[in-house]
Amino acid sequence: MAIKYTYQGLLIYLTIAAYFLAFLARIAGFKKTARTLYLAGFIVATVSFGYRSYHVRHVPFQNLFEVFLAMAMVIYPLSIFCRRLLQVGGEAADMLIGAILLVPAGFVFRAEPQRLPPALQCWLFTPHVAVYLFGYVIMAKAMVQAICQLKNNKVDVDTSLDSYEKGTYRMICLGFPLLTLGLLMGSWWGKLAWGDYWDWDPKELWSLASWLVYVEYFHVRYMFGKRYPRLGSCLAILGAVVIVITLLWVNLSRLFSGLHSYAT
Amino acid sequence: MNKVNRSIMWLALVVIGILAFLSVYGAFLGSQQAKEFFNSVPATIYWAVFTLLLIIGIALLRRLLRVPALLLIHVGCVLILAGAIWGSEAGHKLCKKLFGIDKIQTGQMKIYEGYSNNRVILENNQQAEFPFYIALKDFQIEYYKPEHLYIQTLQGESWMFPVEVGIEFSLGDEFGSVKILKVFENFKITIDGESRTIIDDTGPGSNPALELRFKSPDGQAITRYVFERFPGHTQSDDELLLIYRRIISDFVSELQVVRDGQVVAEKKIEVNHPLHYGGYHFYQHSYDSDEGKYTVLLVTSDSGLYCVYTGYLMLCLGVIWHFWLRHIVNRLKTKKKNKIKFKWQ
Repeated sequence: MAIKYTYQGLLIYLTIAAYFLAFLARIAGFKKTARTLYLAGFIVATVSFGYRSYHVRHVPFQNLFEVFLAMAMVIYPLSIFCRRLLQVGGEAADMLIGAILLVPAGFVFRAEPQRLPPALQCWLFTPHVAVYLFGYVIMAKAMVQAICQLKNNKVDVDTSLDSYEKGTYRMICLGFPLLTLGLLMGSWWGKLAWGDYWDWDPKELWSLASWLVYVEYFHVRYMFGKRYPRLGSCLAILGAVVIVITLLWVNLSRLFSGLHSYAT
Repeated sequence: MNKVNRSIMWLALVVIGILAFLSVYGAFLGSQQAKEFFNSVPATIYWAVFTLLLIIGIALLRRLLRVPALLLIHVGCVLILAGAIWGSEAGHKLCKKLFGIDKIQTGQMKIYEGYSNNRVILENNQQAEFPFYIALKDFQIEYYKPEHLYIQTLQGESWMFPVEVGIEFSLGDEFGSVKILKVFENFKITIDGESRTIIDDTGPGSNPALELRFKSPDGQAITRYVFERFPGHTQSDDELLLIYRRIISDFVSELQVVRDGQVVAEKKIEVNHPLHYGGYHFYQHSYDSDEGKYTVLLVTSDSGLYCVYTGYLMLCLGVIWHFWLRHIVNRLKTKKKNKIKFKWQ
């Protein structure tokens, strides 16, 4: 764990502070202040992402440091989109997720800029990573809704929003096509770069496992949705856990060396 | 839901659950062992059962037939599985047995610059031959510019400089400065009697190096050479550790396909840009890292590939339609209805 004494580090710490203060203000009931801080955090996160893009001279999706910067940036627009259009709450949790996402980027991951290796110089690089990072943030929101449902079956505090079960379902409906696109684009890219659309690489297998957990969720919801709504929520949580393993453990552990090892 | 439909759904839950579990198990095995595991006989039976279950589901579950997006998703999955089975080793053997189509599933070709080859080394180290030849006109490695020179003191202080000939870089008050005098692609020393001459050999081989001139604060100058392949190469009394680093941006092989003495196809292949000819893809796989004299191509058959890609397209369209577009259309319809109601009231 090390503090980054750079402009990039400063921007990260400012974003963490803004998101975390927004979270505290939100749970204390200062809704307006919380939203202003949240917006400020998003602006700093965007500047931070832009600064990184300028610094490395390519879309900064190459390693975990850059992906976490991007995820912390997209959480704000996703939060607004979900609240206004999908009637799914969890704004306070989003603020906390945003702050948590930046902790490893600020203190753990290495930030040295790297050149893109030949395999990553493909037009599929940006859309493949982008759909996955959006998908992962959405599935994290789904997990929050699922946890709320397991803890309390009542409707969200904000009465304009739908129940947690519906919230979980809507988030998974939003995120599942992104996971599908990510998986298939990755497979297509694998064929172009490595000669096979499926290499049985640990990262590929974990991604498939997470996709299958959500496939199982839809089938379970169709079969037992009304009788056992909590079963679906358990699967939504399991899906998010598998995603965390796919994103972090597979890249950081020596146990899973494979074709995606450059993404650390 | 009737009994048959419920049984199909239950089976689907079990089969999906097993695949999720096996995926996690396979991840712990590592890529090569996982490939063997998922191509073993029990796994082949599992894939066949999975495909069959999907087909039965499509035929018997009315909801799948009534909702086009769900039908697309499930038919897409069938095509992906069918294409994968067709393209597998077992699929190639079956094609040979049933239709007499004898295709190489995967292998490697080593081709020297200026030569052609039609022999493929298979995974079991046996050889097979194509009815056409692949010629390597040229092979090149491209590097990111600028390249870099790294200098480190024994105390851990370090500098990174772009490789620019003639420019002097400061190393602080203690170490003075450094100037890059020359860049060598193939550094060699020729010995003629007692005289030694350093040359950049244009012949075969590769030994990238830099000629550096260090100037100490008291004005004393010394010349040093740093080699890409031998980082930290210094004389025993040197206080500075030298590293010359070039980062590869691409590998490029200029290929020609020759059939009956005629060039029938030509392409510069690089990573992400393979050559497709005669039912095969040719990929830039490896190269001669010592002298850059040959390239190694990975050859893969395209059997079943377009079936898999069609499945991908159907799955994507189905998923986007079912989970996004359907809801958007419904929302727009409801909005329209509400507007009409409002007008009537």
